[in-house]
Amino acid sequence: MFLRKPILFLLFIAFNAYSQQDLSVLSIPQELRENANAVIRSYNKEITISSRKSMSVKTSRIVTVLNDYGNDYIDASEFFDKSTKIKSIEAIIYDAFGKEIKKIKKKDFRDRSLSEGSILTDNRILYLDYTPVQYPYTIVYTSETETSNTAFISSWMPLEGLYVSTEKSSVTINHDTSLGFKYKAYNFDEGILKKQEQPGVLALSVENLPARRSEDYSPYFLQIMPHVLFGLDKFNLEGVEGEASNWEAFGTWMYNNLLKGTEELPEETIVKIKALTAGAATPLGKAKIVYEYMQNKTRYISIQLGIGGWKPMPAKDVDRLGYGDCKALTNYTRALLQAAGVESYYAVVYGDRRARSLREDFVSMQGNHVILAIPNNEDLVWLECTSQQLPFGFQGSFTDDRTALLVKPEKSELVRTHVYDDKNNSQNSKGAYTIKQDGTIEGTVTFTSAGLQYNDKYGYEFLSPDELDKKYKNRFSYINNIKFKNIKVNNSKDKQLLREDLAIEAAGYGNISGNRMIFAVNAFNQSVSVPQRYRDRKAPFEIGTGYYDTDEITINLPEGFTVEAKPENMIFKDKFGEYKAEYIITGNQVTYKRSMHLYKGRYDNTEYENYRQFCDKIARNDNAKMVLVKQ
Amino acid sequence: MGLKHYVLLCVLLFAFTANSQDFKLGRVSIEELEQKQHPLEPSAPAAILNKAGYTYFVVSSGIWTMVTEVEMRIKIYNKSGVEYATHELGYLSDSKKMSVNYSNAATYNLVDGKVQKTSVNKEGKFKEELNENVSIKKITFPDVKDGSVIEFKYTIRTPFIHSFRDWYFQYEIPVNNMSYKVAIPSCFVYQRYIKGYIKDVNVSEPKIVLGKTMYNDVTVTYTASDIKPVKEEPFVDNIDNYRAAIAYELEYIRFEGQPEKHFSSTWGDVAKEIYKDDDFGKELGRTGYFKDDLDALLGGINTVTEKTNAIFGYVQKRMMWNEDSSYYCDKGVKEAYEEKTGNSAEINFILIAMLRSAGIDANPVLVSTRDNGISLYPGRSGFNYVVVAAEIEGITMLLDATSKYNCPGILPERALNWYGTLIRENGTYKEIDLKPEKESLEAATLSAVVDDNGSITGRVRFQYTNQLALNYREEHSSEKSINRIAEIEREYNNLLVSDFLLKETSNLSEPVIEDYSFTHNNAAEIIGDRMYLNPLLFMTAQENPLKQEKREYPVSFVYPKLYKNIFIITLPDGYEIESLPKSVNIAMEEGIGDMTYSIAAKDKIVQVSMQLNINYSLVSQVYYDTIRNFYKNVIDKQNEKIVLKRI
Repeated sequence: MFLRKPILFLLFIAFNAYSQQDLSVLSIPQELRENANAVIRSYNKEITISSRKSMSVKTSRIVTVLNDYGNDYIDASEFFDKSTKIKSIEAIIYDAFGKEIKKIKKKDFRDRSLSEGSILTDNRILYLDYTPVQYPYTIVYTSETETSNTAFISSWMPLEGLYVSTEKSSVTINHDTSLGFKYKAYNFDEGILKKQEQPGVLALSVENLPARRSEDYSPYFLQIMPHVLFGLDKFNLEGVEGEASNWEAFGTWMYNNLLKGTEELPEETIVKIKALTAGAATPLGKAKIVYEYMQNKTRYISIQLGIGGWKPMPAKDVDRLGYGDCKALTNYTRALLQAAGVESYYAVVYGDRRARSLREDFVSMQGNHVILAIPNNEDLVWLECTSQQLPFGFQGSFTDDRTALLVKPEKSELVRTHVYDDKNNSQNSKGAYTIKQDGTIEGTVTFTSAGLQYNDKYGYEFLSPDELDKKYKNRFSYINNIKFKNIKVNNSKDKQLLREDLAIEAAGYGNISGNRMIFAVNAFNQSVSVPQRYRDRKAPFEIGTGYYDTDEITINLPEGFTVEAKPENMIFKDKFGEYKAEYIITGNQVTYKRSMHLYKGRYDNTEYENYRQFCDKIARNDNAKMVLVKQ
Repeated sequence: MGLKHYVLLCVLLFAFTANSQDFKLGRVSIEELEQKQHPLEPSAPAAILNKAGYTYFVVSSGIWTMVTEVEMRIKIYNKSGVEYATHELGYLSDSKKMSVNYSNAATYNLVDGKVQKTSVNKEGKFKEELNENVSIKKITFPDVKDGSVIEFKYTIRTPFIHSFRDWYFQYEIPVNNMSYKVAIPSCFVYQRYIKGYIKDVNVSEPKIVLGKTMYNDVTVTYTASDIKPVKEEPFVDNIDNYRAAIAYELEYIRFEGQPEKHFSSTWGDVAKEIYKDDDFGKELGRTGYFKDDLDALLGGINTVTEKTNAIFGYVQKRMMWNEDSSYYCDKGVKEAYEEKTGNSAEINFILIAMLRSAGIDANPVLVSTRDNGISLYPGRSGFNYVVVAAEIEGITMLLDATSKYNCPGILPERALNWYGTLIRENGTYKEIDLKPEKESLEAATLSAVVDDNGSITGRVRFQYTNQLALNYREEHSSEKSINRIAEIEREYNNLLVSDFLLKETSNLSEPVIEDYSFTHNNAAEIIGDRMYLNPLLFMTAQENPLKQEKREYPVSFVYPKLYKNIFIITLPDGYEIESLPKSVNIAMEEGIGDMTYSIAAKDKIVQVSMQLNINYSLVSQVYYDTIRNFYKNVIDKQNEKIVLKRI
């Protein structure tokens, strides 16, 4: 991960007329109180870019916090480092009637490093640690910062999150017109955004945005929240001058300024790599050897100091030290491949389990992660170099199906990463269990997983028996008293298949009521979760990953019981997916066959309730019971 | 019952024997590098092969410094173990008197049958200023692969000789050999405390040897080998309570030619000494700042109980806790009072001072919060929090005004940790059991009608008391009902909630009452011509919280609980009852808990009553099987169905 600041979350302002603002809570319109834990009364940021190497940001922010959940929105903090200075910072707290209760000066703000665990950075934060003495209260916050970095101009998201409303928010940007200032607005409803534009000055503002609630399955917030991106064609990054007029030029700039010269390796390593890969016939064969060599040799440690936040650590240092961050490890792998005579490209993406793409229509420094792409005919093979466990060429859900910027000496370009087909994200189960007269079940089952279901489980092979036992007890939490008599996990890295062999026993699985025994036929793969109900769903929803499960289980019934009732065979299909369950009774045996195919997709808010019903129907069918009666 | 006996028991298991080990940095053997897995814990990702520590004292220009040198050798078996190839130590950097240094750090690998050493140089060492007071030194090892062995030494120098850093014997990975030598000049006398679950720490006979200072040293060496890793388990109050460790706390100093200077070594000493401290005793003694407010508050109030309630309510309302746990004042009570915010000491000292001014006997109770673990010895460093004990009509009542939602007699969960120590100004003290004796109740009264499709509609009323009421209020009091409804619907799949009502009074000693109507279309199943219905509907217990077969540590329930359900269910027309579950009483041994379950039907009305008691806060792991089986039986019973037959 190489982005050093959560830029898109940072908000800013410029507004010096707050003396006229009515700070009393009573003046907040009712519609802005609805669902709100805090109200942004007025937020104003004034950005002045006087040259490629100088940007100042004046922020003035008035927030009324209605209850303790709203404290996060005071956001009275600034990041700083060697290139960014905080010139002033101050906050004044007012009570509900607008009467001043406390003034906080710069020296009373707290200073904290952003380093944490294995992350090392020279970035720091100055923040207000305020204990409210009453609710509601209002905070007036002002700050001024100056930086020589102009590669990032904080975006503006007037609705700052969920459960927060905005009365007034504005941003003014004064810029040197020779720098190629640009901006783009996303997700604003018609007529909301007010704009004033003259050469060298852009002013944007909005008023009265009511608070939104959190809703499960919502798309990534930047896909639905109104926001504006800003950027410069000509910028400065930690003393390096940059160009971002189009993706090709930008990628080439990155190559020349951040990558070039970092790929040098010791002669000894080059010789070793050549020898190791000499036997492999194809470039991909060589690449696989190199990738596994790198995985064995290195580990991930995030070090983001100065320009090191963007420029990879030299390959020769990684070679010597055996660790690095995503940039360093990716670039090191690229250098090793070069030694083996295999071409590969450093590729910038957003790493996130939810597909988050670079904004194709806004050329700028974006992304928070780096992976490697190897051209293979018309295709690309992707390598995640921070993992010591992923198989060669496995993309995984952290970077799949999104745009990536290939950084090349020339012809840099945006491409799409690997798209997994729903049907290939598969899990197949085969097994049998016996249900005894006292309701105990005993059985074995084998699961084979591929695609993104492989992604979820490949790490199991590194877990201790205790950890595995816990993991499976959670997965089968719907079976009480489950005991695993055997757990075997087999990772076929080459085939990218994970096989799980389980032997289980569970007392009381069959519920005995009078002389009947009732049990859910589908013991091994119940889909139990039904999405939350919303009475008035606002946001569209997204099924981020599709999958395909098939199951075939044989059930041996206990002596002395007969089947009184069995669930109906079921087959249904919807725009969200398909489901099938079949029960075949032959003598004392039941064969249960099930398949479930969920489609990846994005749908309107109005479809949400239908999706919920769909999941509910599956959950019911997965839990469908068979009734046995004592003879 | 409870933890105390076990801890004492373990202390006795420490044996006095001598042991010596041969461990020198730099001498990594080929066998160690070749080893593929740990011989006793094959799935361990890494192991501490050796950890050897030495604490001693030096004096220079009259300033005593305690030096601790530690040498470690760690084996990395696989990629999951590489996290041990980064090591860090935090220290107080504000005064510049303390220092932390790493040295002799290197990675060892086996290359072509030979030991290859790669040293950590400057680029692998980092220093971070975490904040104004605390810095961190960190080292990251190069060239770490499966099978690598890493070694390092760190040296901590500190003038803070009051207590040692706790020395842990047990980690999340196995430890093969551990030794810790302590050399204390005879002018210092420390109390030693030992905790945890380890049977085989050997303690050498104390030896008197020539020291590094003008005093002789008394040395003791602790050794242990093949120490099992600690295991994470659910329902553990604080895993550190069970990790084997030793701690030293200064008892007295006897410099030659000077009178002995005593520090805390009994609770009485702690009490006396703490009162002398400006940030404690002096702050407690201040009263002027609230005088007018108190007079106004107590006008017309006569009884001790009323006064206590009034003062508690006033402080609780006025003061906002800044989430700092401490038993010392920081800015002082006066400033805290004026600013209306403070740490736990400031808020509760204001409470004590006001109670005392009103003629009520009130005293501080030193507490270690649950996060902080259990304080094993009478010393200040074991504590991090303070609550209040007020004597009211012969009864000791505990108070803590840092929470907005508790009432007198109920402490927030963070403070419910074993024993606290009440200390009086005259130096007397008393151990206070912090575990609540009063059970906390969750009662659900429900009436519902089942229709012939198996859908259920009805209304339910929940009542929460004591700790559970506090819990409820802390989580939901400032929440809007629409969000609370969403939470309930999330908890009980398929429930549709309406007409939600929360009956809140300003009196926090009253129970919380929550009421709502519901429809539920998944509680009854119709299979063939029968309907199967869980008598407790959507509140049927489904999952045994204790999933593991074995247990190493006591089970913490935090406080005694009583769950009570009374359900009246009207059955649909067109069906008759074929069978009902039987009424039973399931009890655990030693009165740990029980469930009384009864069910009866008259015509179309079924009445179900379920009562589940957990009588203890903390139960020894000896009873783990009992508890786990109890939950199993409870769940089995609750899942027995009412079987209805279509007529």
